[in-house]
This record gives sequence, structure tokens and C-alpha cells, in this order.
Amino acid sequence: MADQNKTDTAGKLYNEILSPSELFAARSRSHKIPVRGQKDFFPNDSDEQRQRLEQSLNEHWSLVSEERVERLGNLVKGIWIPSDQIVELQSPAGKFWQTMGFSANAKQCLLPEEALYLMECGNLQVFYRDLPLSIQDGYERFLSSKTISLQQYQVFGHLKRLGYVVNRFNPSSEPSPYMRQLNLPQSRDSAGRQLKRKRSTSPTLSSSHTKARESHTERMEEDECSHEGEKKSTQASPETPGVSTATTRSADEGKGRNWWMTDVLPEPGHRSDHSLSSGSSRWDFRSIVFPDLGSREQLSSCLASPDPSLLPEALAVGACDFALWRQRINLRKVNMSSKDWKREEDKLRRGWDVNKDEEVRRCRNWTEYMELMSRREAKRKGRPAHLWNREVTPLHDPREPISTGELLEKISVIKPTNLLEGASRLKGGDEWRICFNVYQADTVADFKKSNPGKPYARMCVCSFDGPVPDLRAIKLLTFQSGDIPVVFAVVDYGDISFYTFKDFQLPLDVFP
Amino acid sequence: MQAEFRPPRRRPRVQEEYEAPLPVVRCPEEKCELRADLINQHVLICNPEHIQKIHNQGYFGKGVLSRARPDHNLSYQWEQYEGVFLPVVSQSRYEELLVWAGAALSTQGSNEQTVSQMLHQLSQPVEMEDVLREMGWEGDTQTEKTAPERRVSEMKPEARRGCSLETQKVNPNYDPDPDQDSDSRPDLEREFNSDADPDPDSLVLGPGFFMVVPDNEDSGGVREVRPAPYSLSEYLQLSLEEAFFLVYSLGCLSVFLHQEPLSLVELWGKFCSLRPDFISSYAAYHHFRSRGWVPKGGGAVKYGSDLMLYRKGPPFYHASYSVIIERVNGAFAGSALRPFSWRSLAALSRITTNVSKELMLCYIIYPADLSEPDLDSPECLSRLKVQEVIVSRWISSRERAELDEF
Repeated sequence: MADQNKTDTAGKLYNEILSPSELFAARSRSHKIPVRGQKDFFPNDSDEQRQRLEQSLNEHWSLVSEERVERLGNLVKGIWIPSDQIVELQSPAGKFWQTMGFSANAKQCLLPEEALYLMECGNLQVFYRDLPLSIQDGYERFLSSKTISLQQYQVFGHLKRLGYVVNRFNPSSEPSPYMRQLNLPQSRDSAGRQLKRKRSTSPTLSSSHTKARESHTERMEEDECSHEGEKKSTQASPETPGVSTATTRSADEGKGRNWWMTDVLPEPGHRSDHSLSSGSSRWDFRSIVFPDLGSREQLSSCLASPDPSLLPEALAVGACDFALWRQRINLRKVNMSSKDWKREEDKLRRGWDVNKDEEVRRCRNWTEYMELMSRREAKRKGRPAHLWNREVTPLHDPREPISTGELLEKISVIKPTNLLEGASRLKGGDEWRICFNVYQADTVADFKKSNPGKPYARMCVCSFDGPVPDLRAIKLLTFQSGDIPVVFAVVDYGDISFYTFKDFQLPLDVFP
Repeated sequence: MQAEFRPPRRRPRVQEEYEAPLPVVRCPEEKCELRADLINQHVLICNPEHIQKIHNQGYFGKGVLSRARPDHNLSYQWEQYEGVFLPVVSQSRYEELLVWAGAALSTQGSNEQTVSQMLHQLSQPVEMEDVLREMGWEGDTQTEKTAPERRVSEMKPEARRGCSLETQKVNPNYDPDPDQDSDSRPDLEREFNSDADPDPDSLVLGPGFFMVVPDNEDSGGVREVRPAPYSLSEYLQLSLEEAFFLVYSLGCLSVFLHQEPLSLVELWGKFCSLRPDFISSYAAYHHFRSRGWVPKGGGAVKYGSDLMLYRKGPPFYHASYSVIIERVNGAFAGSALRPFSWRSLAALSRITTNVSKELMLCYIIYPADLSEPDLDSPECLSRLKVQEVIVSRWISSRERAELDEF
């Protein structure tokens, strides 16, 4: 019966369904994988070498050009929907459903990279306009800048073939540091909803800009950096509905939170929303001075009235007598142990300026200053003058016996820092982005798509010809990832190497 | 997530005693004032006692004639003979040394005949009493010229002076710079002739004498004691960072330039002019020292990096980290001292893994408000910050995942 199909037309119409003899031939194909022999050091033009190379190439070629034979029943049918950039399944999904795919509109769907991977595995057949797509078609259609790039797909495929579970990374579904601080339980979103949200706010800058800042276009060029910070917070707020009220506040509140970030000056663009500013539209907070009522220095107990430009209109404030208030402030001196005082002194000493010196300030004329200097000289007797009588003195006096631990602490002038410090104010760009979450291979059995848990690692894909991440990129990605390590997958035309850049603090090593 | 700390690997055979982590005093009676000289843009320590102290307590510096610790000797085999330890050299080696001494003397301007005469007188075998007397067995110092031994001892200071020129040439950092030359040579000679206090236990060394043995056992020669044609003393060379650390953090060293001691700010300025990125490399060095580790710079060339970190010191443990120093500005970006491509990073990572070390990138962060004039003083160091990052390869295959090690 099947044989008749074969001799159908003269024009070599290729039928996909095989005759029994062909099937048998396909089954009994040799499954030998070409072995890579020992490498020679350099090419000589000998026949033997050429022969070996040719044979090896032929083996590889025949392997690559092999046609795949699959049972029709094993193939899941899907339809490619370009408008949504997903594949909708027509027949029930197989075992892969455990770790891949999502549900949308009561249908099972796959992301394009998952679909392409399954096609290559021989589990899926995707139709477009009623015609099955070939692998080449798949590569061409499914991988684009709107979905994922070829390099990212190569990494995806590599990891999947090793058994890992790989999902797309969605920055907005990660808990923000504030949420992590509050230890909030996360809502479980299936990939579909994530995808939907991802589609609605494309990751490029312009769309979120236009959404949130239409009314402030004229201020945009100056306020670039704060707007980037804004984009993050505005993205976070509408897109995590299940999270508590802390983050679902309006964009205004998001702006409010920005004000408490230490390094960002509140921008005039925001301020003009509120009806506070009267005349000037630019506020320089560094020039607005609040009196320190708690300082130990003697202030006059009367404050002059503040600058009217700082106040709302129709408000007049007179001078203020705060002597009564002052009594209520705890003005006791801090009780520090002698060690603490010494530490304060050392801190002072390092930022040494002759005018900051208390004793020098108390000298009222040159005679007193000279006396002070000679007193100090007497104290420093014996120590080499070229080191100790100048502007900068050594950190430690070698005559003082001291234990090693204390000495090390004394000379620890340079402070170590960690990757997360200062990372919150870095804005993201297009060049360094986390693409995937990777889950361990042996957790496949209990993997639940609705509750995947914490990933084993996060992948950032880059090209071998591209730049190496600088500290800025490393800090940014570490901040985005939280406590999950970030792995850089470097793709060199199909060869993938993985590198990690991890935070480290050299431990203190004290020998007595 | 933090990188895991891997404990350093001990060396299998450790022959050294650990003295102290840093050259500072432990008890009030000790004094600690060491002296170094800035000669030809290098920091050298000439005083043998200071050399021993600085090297043994903290492993600073490198002997100029040795691989690491300054233990150059004209002979590696010593023998006891009538109560005195003498270095043993073979006849051929002794003659070679004589030839060298002759070359040194002839460069001083003596003509051939005088030279050969002096050498001939110099190389006569001596009796042991002379040896003992020369060594100051009765309490005389070595530099005094005892009259009957004038023949020998007269030779020696000249030879020594000749030899100081010799060592100047032997010093691989010899820089034929006319200005520096005239200043530095007389200094060296003065250094040389004003010896350190003689070691009261100098019985162990027979510094001016050799036991010359024949090359073959049956060539008929006889073992005899002969004076050394010259004595060679070795200096300790400190890198700029090590020298500055000793002066600034511990206060135990003073660096002299043309016999004038330099203050901290002057020293800082001089070093910054000698090396363009001195501040970054010094900041990294200072940080690692303040954590109690020993950073060594010279050996790092072998592995393509800037520093190697040792725990306790090179004789005890293998180096644990191979450090690359980078500088970044307040926004954590900026032009790199050593721009990496993935290819070079991969190569460096491969080398480092092959020698069982870990590759560490040390970023020195310069805050944005640090201005140029601030950098003229070592006080700017307290404004800098250090970030350490460990670079490692991640193997994606199954076996690695099973180890559950990241």
C-alpha cells in the first residue's frame, strides 16, 4: 500500500510517509557518531592526512544530512502565529509539557525558542498556512530581534540538551530589593501572563517613556537618568498585581520613593507636578540649609524667617524662638569608650588639615602656635623628623608594640566594597541583559511551571567578539539577579563557554 | 552570591621558620629603623641586617643576585676546619674568581703587571692562625688592618672596592645614566666600607677565606685555605609598592635619595612620577597587606597578572590568587589599565586554572569627587574603595552539576 505511494508521479514528488523498506533502512542506520581522532600538530601536504580529513568530513556531512524519521503519532502539531510570536498546539502536548510551554486562551502554547528546540528534537511539527515548516524555516522565522537572537537560542539549546530547564527571564517578576527586605511571598505567574505583559510593554525605552512621560517631553533631555530609574519603578508597579500595596502604588509614589535614593537629585520635572514651587522651577537642595538645632555649638536661640521663595504663596513666617524646644532635645555628649575616642581621633587624623586641628585653632597668635609645635616636637622625640613632622605621617609608629590584628586594623585605610553597593542607581541598557533562568537538571521531576522556585543560575548571553563586562555591567546584572549567580555565556560561532564573575571578600588572615 | 573561599595549599616541604608577619617591634626594647636608598629609580637595601629583617618578617623584596630570598653565596658547600666554617670551592672555580677579580682591578686603571702581581700575592695559601686573627677572633673588627696581615688585608679593601664596582655591573638594573652614576657610586663605596656591626657569632662564617679543593680526588692537589679574591654582598631590592608600604603604613623604613631622607609626600610624588598607575597598584597592595596576605609582584609576570597572593609567605604556601588590578571611576566604568577581550580573558583564565590558582580582578574605585590635587598626597587612599571579583569558568555538563559546586 505504501509502496504504491512512492511511484506516484514522475516529477519526483517527495512523499513524507515512508515505505516499509525505507522505514527498515532508516531503523537500521548505523548510529555511530564520528570519532574525533588524535589531532596532528600541523598540516603537511601528505596524502594520508588529506584522506583522513576527507573521511572525517564525509562522516560529518552524512550525519548532518541524515533525514530524521519519526512516528507520525509522536509528532505534536502546532501552528505558528506570527502576530503573537508563539506556537499554538493543535494536539495534546507530550512529556515536554512538564517544563516547557504555557497556557493561553485555553490553548497550549509554546515560545518560539521552545518550539524550535522541539522541532530539532523531532517532537513537534509546526504548520504555517497549512504547510509544515522545515528546520531552516524555523530558524528563519522564530528567531528574530523580537523574540530571541540566534546566539541566545544556541545557548538555550545547549543547556536544554544537557537537561537543564530554561525559562525566559522577566525582570519585572523579580522581587525588588524592598520586597525582598520585607520578605514578601511572591505571586505565581505562569509564563503566559508574563509573556502577555512582556508583549504589552516592549523592552525598548521609547514606549515606556511615552507612556509615562508624555507631558514632560521638553524636560526629557535633562532628566535622562532619573527617567531611567523611573522606568524601572513604573514597570514594576503595574506589572505585579499580586504583590502587596507597597509596590502597586501609583507612579507618583514611585517618584516619591526616588527622592529617598541618596545619589539622585530630585528633578524639577517631578516637582512641577506638585503645586509647591512658587517662583523658581529649579531647586538646588544643596543650597537650602536647615539649621541644626541639635548641635552643641551655641546657636542664637532665634531663627530668622525662611526665604519666601521656599514657601508656598500666601504663607508668611516670622522669626522663631526655639529656646524652649532646645531644652527638650537631648544634648548630652555621647559616651564613647576610650577606644572609640581613639578611633575618632584616627579618623580625624587621616583627613588631616592644619586648620582642622583643634589645638591649632585655639592658638590665638604665632607665639602660641610655635609653643604648640615645640610641645609636639618634644612628644615626637626620637622619631625621624622627615616622617613625623610633615603634613602626612605614617599610619603606625614602629616603636609602639602592637598585636598583629590591631595593626592590620590600623592600616586598613582602604575600604572593601561589595557588588551590590551603589548598584541600585545604575541604569540598565541594552547591551547587558539577563536572558534566561536556568534550573537544575535533577529537579525536573518536581519542577512545576507555576512555581518554579529559585533558579540555579541566570544566563547573560554575549558574543565572543564583543566586549568583556566591566564592573558596571557586573554590578548591574548582580543587582537585577538578586542572590542568584549570573553566568555569562560567551558564544563563538556555536562554541559556548561559560564564565562567572563573583563577588568576593578576601578573608582576614592573622598570624600571631 | 559570593565566591567560595578555597583554603590555600601548603607546600610539601617547608624549611623555613616563620618569624613574624610584619617588621614591627613586639617588645619595647627593640628598635626598628631601617634604611633604604633610592638608586637609579630602584629602592635598594644595602645593610645586611636590615635585609634579613625586612625579608624574613613579611617577605618583602627580592635579593638582586638570588631567585627570591637574598641568599647568594659564592659557594653552596661549607665545611668545618679547625673551628671555622669555610665555604668550599673547587680549584677551577677559584681560578675563575681570580680572573674576575683581576678584571675588576684592571678596570680601575692598574696595568696588567700590577694586576697579576696583586693576584699572585692574593692567592697564596694562608695558615689558620692568620685566618682566625683576620676574622677578629680576639675581638677586632674586620675592617681594622692588622699590621702583619697587611699583605692580605690591604688587598681586601681594594678588592672590595673593586668588587663594589663589580656588583654595580652585576646588578641587572644598572642604568648608564651619567647623572645618577656619579652620585650613586661614591655612596655605595661609603656604604660598603662602613660595615655593619660585626656579628659576634661570626665564627660560623669565614667570610674572607675559602677552602679550595682540587677538582679531582687524584689530581694530586692539596686542600688549602686561601683568601677570597673578593667578597660579594647582595642587596635587597624592594618594589615601589613594598617600599611605600613600609614607610607609610608601618613607619619602619626611611628612603634616602642622595643621602637625604624623603618625606611621605615627596616619596609619594616621586613614585607616582616613576610609574603612571602607581596609585592603583599601591592601593591594591595596601589592601591585601591590610588583610594579612603577602602580595608579590615579580612572580606574577609568569602568569600574566599583576600580583600573586600568598598566605603567610612564599616559602610556606603556594600562591592562592593571581590578581589583575583595574581602575574604575565613580560610575564603575572608565578606561581600563588592561583592556580585556574574551579571548585574552579566556587565555588568562585557562593559565590560572592550570596552575591551580584563582583569577581575581581587583577594581580600585576612584570616587567622582576626587580631584587631581587630592591625588598628590597619600591621604587620598582613604577615599578609594576596593572591589574583588573572582573569575571562573562554569562547566555546563552533567558531572559538574552533580558536584553541586558553583
